[in-house]
Amino acid sequence: MTWSRDALAGKIPVTLVTGFLGSGKTTLISKLLLHSGMRRVAVVINEIGEIGIDHDLVTVSSENITLLANGCICCSVRTDLQETLRDLFAQRRVGEVFDFDRVIVETTGLADPAPVVQTLGSDTLLAAHYRLDGLITLVDGLHGVGQIDQQTEAVKQIAIADKILVTKTDLVMSDHLETLCGRIRQLNSQSPIEFIRQGEVDPKSLIDLGLSSSRASLKTLQFLGEALTDDAVSADVTGRYLGQKSSGHNAAVKTLSLRFTEPFEWLSFSSALELLTTLRGPDLLRLKGIVNVDGDPVVIQGVQHIIDTPVKMDRWPSDDKDSRLVFIVRNMEIDVIRNLFQAVGAIKSASISPT
Amino acid sequence: MLNAPQSASRADQTLSLNMKLLAHHELAGFGGLGEGMGMQLTSDGRRILWLAHESAPKNFSGVDVTDPKNPKLIVQTELPHMKLRSNSLDVVGNIMVVAYQATTVGIKPAGIDIFDVSQPETPRLLSHFDCSGPYSRGVHAVWFVDGRYVHMSSGASDFQPRNPLDDQFYRIIDIIDPEKPVEVGRWWYPGTREGDEAPPPPRLPAKFDTGFRTHNTNVFPEQPNRAFVGYIDGGAVVLDISDMKNIKVVSQWNHSPPFNGFTHTVLPLFDRGLWIVSDECVQDNGADWPKLVWVVDSRNEANPVPIGTFPAPPYDAFAKRGGRFGAHNLHENLPGPTSFRSDTIIVGSFFNAGVRVYDTSNPYQVQEIAYFVPGAPKLSPAGAIQLNDVYVDDRRIVYTVDRFTGGLYILEMNI
Repeated sequence: MTWSRDALAGKIPVTLVTGFLGSGKTTLISKLLLHSGMRRVAVVINEIGEIGIDHDLVTVSSENITLLANGCICCSVRTDLQETLRDLFAQRRVGEVFDFDRVIVETTGLADPAPVVQTLGSDTLLAAHYRLDGLITLVDGLHGVGQIDQQTEAVKQIAIADKILVTKTDLVMSDHLETLCGRIRQLNSQSPIEFIRQGEVDPKSLIDLGLSSSRASLKTLQFLGEALTDDAVSADVTGRYLGQKSSGHNAAVKTLSLRFTEPFEWLSFSSALELLTTLRGPDLLRLKGIVNVDGDPVVIQGVQHIIDTPVKMDRWPSDDKDSRLVFIVRNMEIDVIRNLFQAVGAIKSASISPT
Repeated sequence: MLNAPQSASRADQTLSLNMKLLAHHELAGFGGLGEGMGMQLTSDGRRILWLAHESAPKNFSGVDVTDPKNPKLIVQTELPHMKLRSNSLDVVGNIMVVAYQATTVGIKPAGIDIFDVSQPETPRLLSHFDCSGPYSRGVHAVWFVDGRYVHMSSGASDFQPRNPLDDQFYRIIDIIDPEKPVEVGRWWYPGTREGDEAPPPPRLPAKFDTGFRTHNTNVFPEQPNRAFVGYIDGGAVVLDISDMKNIKVVSQWNHSPPFNGFTHTVLPLFDRGLWIVSDECVQDNGADWPKLVWVVDSRNEANPVPIGTFPAPPYDAFAKRGGRFGAHNLHENLPGPTSFRSDTIIVGSFFNAGVRVYDTSNPYQVQEIAYFVPGAPKLSPAGAIQLNDVYVDDRRIVYTVDRFTGGLYILEMNI
C-alpha cells in the first residue's frame, strides 16, 4: 500500500495581487470580476464600494459576499483577511457560498505581502486548505520609475513578485517602458513581465504560478524560474543576472543563484536556513529552490523570514540532482550565503554508533 | 436592488472539493443501486463494473468503464419476482457471486447465485445456493475476494432467531467447485438463536433497534484467519476463522449504547494497527444522527480502543436536505488487480452528503480532503442524492451509486 497523497493537490490556490497606491489594482480587479474566465474563482477585495458592480450582473448577495453572473464570487474583507479566508472555506463546505476552486486576494496598497503569506502558512485551518500560488505585483507604467527610486515598499513588492504586470502602458512612450523594465529586471531578474492596459488581463495569466503538485513532472521546475536550469547558472557565473548596470537607490537588491552538488542532511540545511532568516530575515526577500536532502528532492520556498512547509517531491523532475537555490536579497553577497550553507552543510549530525 | 441572500445548500445544488465528475450514467432508467460493486478485468482487456440493484425489478447491471468518461451499459438482468433484491455482489476473475434477499421470510429464491461472466454480455448461471427458510430472508451481503470462499450475511433454513430482527448471521460457503457450493463455517452472536445457552443480548431502544445481525463480513489475504464483521447493533466483531468449523471471537467493540447502533463495515489497516469502522444511517432527516466513521486502535486485538472519528459532514447543511444523512459504505481495499488500496486514504459514501475522501495519516486528526455531492437526481423520492456505495479502481477513479434513481457517478479525485 505504497500510494500516498499529493501534499499539495487538495489545497485551494491563492493568488495575491499587490501594487503600489495608484498602480491600478482597483481597475484590474473590477475588470477581472466580470471576465468570463472567472467561474469558480473567489476574489477577496478590500471594499466592495470601490469596485462598483453593475447590479444586473449580481445573482446572489449576502452581507459581504456577492455571486456574479459569470460564477465569480466577490467577497469583501470583513474584519481581517485571516478571518475572511476561514469564513469563505467554512461557508463553501456547508454550501453557503458556491464552490470555488481558487482565490485571488487584493492586498491594500501599502500592505507588505509577507504577513499575508505568514497567515496562510501559520493558521492551521488556512494551511490545511489553501496554498499560496503566486504573488502578482502591479507596477505603474507612468510613475513606476519614481516609485522604485523613492519607495522601499515598491521595491520590495517588485522583488518578491512571481509575475509583474506593468499598467497604464497606453499612457507612456516605449522608451520609458524600456527604462522601467530595466529597473524592474535589476530587482527581479526572473519573473515574467506583462504589459496591460486599462486593467485588461486574462485570468489565466494570473494562475498556476506556483508548485501545484508534489508529483514531479515537466512543469515542476517552471515556478522556480529559469535560473535553475544549467544555462542560467552559467549565466549567473558570468554575472548576467547580477545587475552590473548599477544605478538608483536599489542596486543593493539582487538575485543570487546557488548550486550545491553535495547532498544536504535535512538538519544541516534547515539549520543554515534558520540562521540566515534569523540574522537577515528582512533582507531575504524571496527564496525558491529544490534541495537534495539525502538524495530526495525537497522544494523550498520563502518570502522574507517566512519559509513555507517544505514539499518532498515523489521523484526528481530531471536528471539534475544538484541542490539549486535562488535568493532575492538586499545587501547580501553570494559568497556569504554559499559559505554559510557549505559550512553548516559540512557539519553532519553525530553518528550514534557506540565506540 | 440586490437579490435576497440565498443558501446554496439546496438539494439540487452540486457541491465539490477536489473531485470532478467525469461521467454520469442513469442505467437505462433503473438508477437505484444497492451496495454491490465489483470490477472485472476481462480477457480482452475491458473493465466491467458490476452493480447490484437496490430493489426489483432489476437484478444486476454490467457497465463497461474501460474509458471512464464514456461508460457503456452492456447488460442488465431481471429478478424473478418483485419481492426480491440483489443488493450485493462480488467478482473474482470471471466468477461473480450475487446475493438475494427477500422482503419477508419464507420466500424463494433467497440465497446466492454464482455466475460465469467470462462473456460479460451474457452471464451464465453456474449454481444457486439456497438460504431460504421459514425464518430466513436470505442473503444481504457477500464478500468474495479469494476465488474460493464466500463470506456472507445470511439466514438459513435451520436457523430460528429469538428476535426476527436477528435473522442474518455469518456464514462461509466454499465454492472451489462453483457448481457445488457447500457451507463450511458459521458464527452467530451468542444468545440470538433459539436454544442458545447465552441470554439474549440487551437491545437498543426500539427507535434504534436494527438487530443483532451481520452486515459486512470481510476477510483479507493479509490475514486470512480473521473475519472483520460489522454486526449491526452488535458492534464490530473480529473472528478467528483459522478453524472454520470452530470460529472464535477475538475482538469485540461496540459504541452503542450510547450511540444509535448499526455497525456496517470494519476495515482493517493492517500495517498501522487500525480499524476504520463505519456506521450506516438508516433513518431519514437526521433521525438517527450521528452516524459516523470511527478510527479504532486495534494493536491489541483483545482491547480495541476508539481514538477518533472522521470529521462528519456539517449537520446544518445536510440533515434536512432530504433522505438519509450519514456514513454508510467504505471502499474496502479489495485485493485483486483493479482495486485502489491505501493505508491512509479512505473513501466513503454518506447518502445525501455525497462521496467523501479522508486522509488518515494522522489517525488522531483525520482530514477531509475531497468530496462530491451530486445535485438531487431526477425523480428521486428522497429529493436529494443518496449515495449508497463507492468503489475506487487502481486508476484512482471513483465510482459511486445512488440508492434510488441517480445511477452511477464516475469521478476523478485530485489528491
